[in-house]
Amino acid sequence: MNDYPLQSPQSLSLSLPDATSTCTAQNDVELVAASVAGDQDAFAQLVQRHQRRVFNLVFRMVQKYEEADEITQETFLAAWQGLPSFRGDARFSTWLYRIAYNCSLKQLEQSKRDKALQAAIQSRIELDKQVQAEAHDCQTLVREQLSTLPAKYRVVLILRHLQEMTYEEIAEILTMPIGTIKTHLFRARNLLKERLEAFERELNTRTRG
Amino acid sequence: MHCSKAAIQLQLYLDHQLSLDQIRALETHLSSCPTCRQELLLLEKINTALQVIEPVVEPPDLTENIMQRVTLSPRQCCEYTYGLFPPSLLEIVTVVVLATITMLGIILVQPSLRGTLPHANQHDLLSTAFITSAHLLGSVSSSTLIWILWVIGTLLGVAITLALAGKEIRSSWFRGMLNQLPV
Repeated sequence: MNDYPLQSPQSLSLSLPDATSTCTAQNDVELVAASVAGDQDAFAQLVQRHQRRVFNLVFRMVQKYEEADEITQETFLAAWQGLPSFRGDARFSTWLYRIAYNCSLKQLEQSKRDKALQAAIQSRIELDKQVQAEAHDCQTLVREQLSTLPAKYRVVLILRHLQEMTYEEIAEILTMPIGTIKTHLFRARNLLKERLEAFERELNTRTRG
Repeated sequence: MHCSKAAIQLQLYLDHQLSLDQIRALETHLSSCPTCRQELLLLEKINTALQVIEPVVEPPDLTENIMQRVTLSPRQCCEYTYGLFPPSLLEIVTVVVLATITMLGIILVQPSLRGTLPHANQHDLLSTAFITSAHLLGSVSSSTLIWILWVIGTLLGVAITLALAGKEIRSSWFRGMLNQLPV
């Protein structure tokens, strides 16, 4: 799976804004309060602050740039409409990522693409195995295999590594007990590990051969 | 330590989720087990590979598109707020039962209030059970009694609140409680 190319030179040093820091969370509270009261400028600031993280979460889930664009828009629209019911017992970012995750899941279920995509990628991998074994390094392999994992395993890896969240934050976003998060992370990494092992074995055989 | 246990702990180790004692035990095992060291190496490779995945740039007009849709779509907050109330019939019945139990408990420990209960026939089952339990409570020392009542009262209070709070809050409360338990 090819990533969307980074378009501008500035984006080469691209980073995700730290939406989990206390400072941002504090500013969020004020902007959320203003947004609840109907202040669209305040909401626009919230959008700008969180859109990259939300977009990246959604993009890694649905794996299509155009769909990620649409779902990110839907996520923020749902957030705007649901803001009056946001009770503030979780951080705004946590609540927002929960909406984004649910929207992504809905999309995946609707199109049933998750399975089809896995099958497609699997068959492609079978076909291109030889080429891949020579051309791709560990990082590319892990990134490609990430996209073939079941959605529930993929999301914990995305949140843990791409969005650098703690177990507690992940549990809150996915509304699952921490024990389940641990189990899912364990299984997700184990799946990646198995595939990496197979890849390395093959590489060794090839080198010796 | 067995390798099977170490395999489970390796990921928690990399995520800084182990206690100091567990880290020590695991590191001791690692120093003597090449298989688990190899496992750790692989997991580290995977973590590094995941960590360096570059964020993707969102479309340049994303904010604009979002705000356009925000402007065009009115909020439907009121429907949602009404959706939370009233509580379902089952929840109301639960609350009524729990509140009745609480009331009976209060009357039971207040001798002056016991007279208000309609137990004209002293021989029916309910009155007998009621009086027996009142006597039983009277025989316990007062400090123990206060503790028992305090605990029961708290539990009933929590149960009533949860019954009224609705399904969503109830489930998140239970999840919160579960997370507090040592895993």
